Amino acid sequence: MDQTIINRNNVHISGKGKKTVIFAPGFGCDQTVWKDVSPAFEEDYRVILFDYVGLGNSDLSAFDPIKYSNLTGYVQDVLDVCADLNINDAIFVGHSVSSMIGLLAANLKPEYFSQLIMIGPSPCYLNDPPEYYGGFEKEDLINLMDMMEKNYIGWANAFSITLLNNPARADVSQNLENRFCSTDPIIINAFAKACFFTDNRRDILKAKVPSLILQCADDVIAPKIVGEYLSMNMPNSTITYMNAIGHCPHMSDPEETIQSIKQYLNSQSESLIGEGVGGV
Amino acid sequence: MDDIIENAPCGFMTLSANGKILTINQTLVNLLQYPSSEPLIGKHFNVALSNASRVFIQLYFFPIITLERYVEEMYVSLVAHDGEEIPVLLNASFHDNEIICAIVPMHKRNALENELIKAKKMFENAYSEKEKALSELEAALLTLKQNQLELLKANQENAKFKLDTERDLQLAKTIQETSLTKDIVNDKIKILSYYHASKALSGDIYGFYEITPQKYGIILLDVMGHGISSSLITMSLQSLFHKLISQGVEAAVVMQELDQYLHELFQDNQEAWHYCTAIYLNIDTKTQTIEYLNAGHPPAILQDQNGLQEELFATSPPLGMFKSISFTSKSLEYTEGTRILLYTDGVSEALEINALNSILKNSFFQPLSETKALILKELENSENKFDKYDNDDQCFILVELSS
Repeated sequence: MDQTIINRNNVHISGKGKKTVIFAPGFGCDQTVWKDVSPAFEEDYRVILFDYVGLGNSDLSAFDPIKYSNLTGYVQDVLDVCADLNINDAIFVGHSVSSMIGLLAANLKPEYFSQLIMIGPSPCYLNDPPEYYGGFEKEDLINLMDMMEKNYIGWANAFSITLLNNPARADVSQNLENRFCSTDPIIINAFAKACFFTDNRRDILKAKVPSLILQCADDVIAPKIVGEYLSMNMPNSTITYMNAIGHCPHMSDPEETIQSIKQYLNSQSESLIGEGVGGV
Repeated sequence: MDDIIENAPCGFMTLSANGKILTINQTLVNLLQYPSSEPLIGKHFNVALSNASRVFIQLYFFPIITLERYVEEMYVSLVAHDGEEIPVLLNASFHDNEIICAIVPMHKRNALENELIKAKKMFENAYSEKEKALSELEAALLTLKQNQLELLKANQENAKFKLDTERDLQLAKTIQETSLTKDIVNDKIKILSYYHASKALSGDIYGFYEITPQKYGIILLDVMGHGISSSLITMSLQSLFHKLISQGVEAAVVMQELDQYLHELFQDNQEAWHYCTAIYLNIDTKTQTIEYLNAGHPPAILQDQNGLQEELFATSPPLGMFKSISFTSKSLEYTEGTRILLYTDGVSEALEINALNSILKNSFFQPLSETKALILKELENSENKFDKYDNDDQCFILVELSS
């Protein structure tokens, strides 16, 4: 085990089980968002929580604005953690953009993953009329990035470039409030560009690992039509419609989220056992 | 709702945990330009949010309010009934499974913040421009240093080349000087000479030969220019006149042959074309006659035993200049004690006019070697006065005839 990756991505391991579940936070957030969900898996699984570089308690000095302005940078974080912990056949639970990060990671290294759980996934946020409705125009996303910048608590007393060149910035940033949901413009602009302007519609066609789409009601970020597009186009995918409203059911409705995931995993293992019996 | 809250100077609203509007005060209804609260109650908060704000609320507001139970100074953009965007600050707390929101419009403050952000971006751009310019400067400096190193290396190579060339030139000079004949001193004739190259190699060349015990041939040539090219020509001319004069060929024929040789040499190469001036004396000590030819050369000075001077002017144009010239020699008789000075223009031009004549005259009663010493002294003095004349080759020959 390489301590540098463990530290870099602030990896935390818990649970009693053998099979691994990895929880990957969504856009701009750190592993704290799983606090009402992940404990429910500790009895039966080895639970792994981590932060992407630039978020939470990750090593900010490892943040490379070029690497992390593309989803491949975040995919590499996932693959690094998996390789480092010798993970095979893990269940990957990804919220929001992490669903796509998980999919891209699984396309590259299918042996690392057994199932992907996608909470509020979207392969492409931008509308591409007439055949695709992602929910957003480019202008909306640019306005969103402006809004993030204005909500960045630290911006008034710290110029981003001087921060970037300041080796002591880790200390500065750690004093900022709400670290679990960062609006730090350097990190978030890179992440936002990586996730909001990406188009993974071709990648979902090549999905190699079975997946569950958890579709919330009234999710403005990942509307129902996007979830349905995914379930139609992604091989081996199952869609579950949740009662939870919004984009963060793991926070607003952790119990429903836990049950939806467990139900799917049970049905998966049953069908596997079924196949196994059939094969004898 | 309490009348005070209803008309408070800020928007007030309660939401269900999943974002549905439960209550809304009149101030906020007015702000959103709805006729009443009725169309808003029961709707998701999204109904009053811009597209970007809807996403922002999902990504930040709900996670933060859920986890931390409190949201402070969140900037979002509301959308009024008529579509107008209203920048607001949103404070919220989580209480009894409801989200309580206080909303303050911030049109003016927003404009100020926009200006601040603009200024900050300008600063950042300027900063990164500066950084870029700096790194370009550093790269340019590095290139400059590399160029300097290369230049230094080239310089060293050049210096080595120069050293090699100088060594070569010194060797060539020795060879050229070796080809010069030695002074002749006997009871009938004294011939003394001086030879100095402006650069390592000279365009001047001379030779004097005892053809028979009473016949002496003396030649002085000055190839135009100086340095390597001129000296090469002197060497080829030297081997030719050495052969001709030693064999006792007629004076006119010697000049004819040298002239012919130069024409042939540059026949197919006009660029390399050189001509030369020459003076040739054929002295018969028995008959006491001097036969001479002067091909465009400075006149030799002849001084008889009475100190009377005569100049042996050109009898033809320089050698190698015009084709098919016939060379005819002149003759004169001499008496004992006659002295002759032959020189190249490098000598005469270094000195004042008639300086050579004066030296010759004034040293009339002194040995020939003293005359030579006086000329050299004069040349040495003039070197300081007329630096430029050091740029030409200098050569002279002094002859003293006895009976």
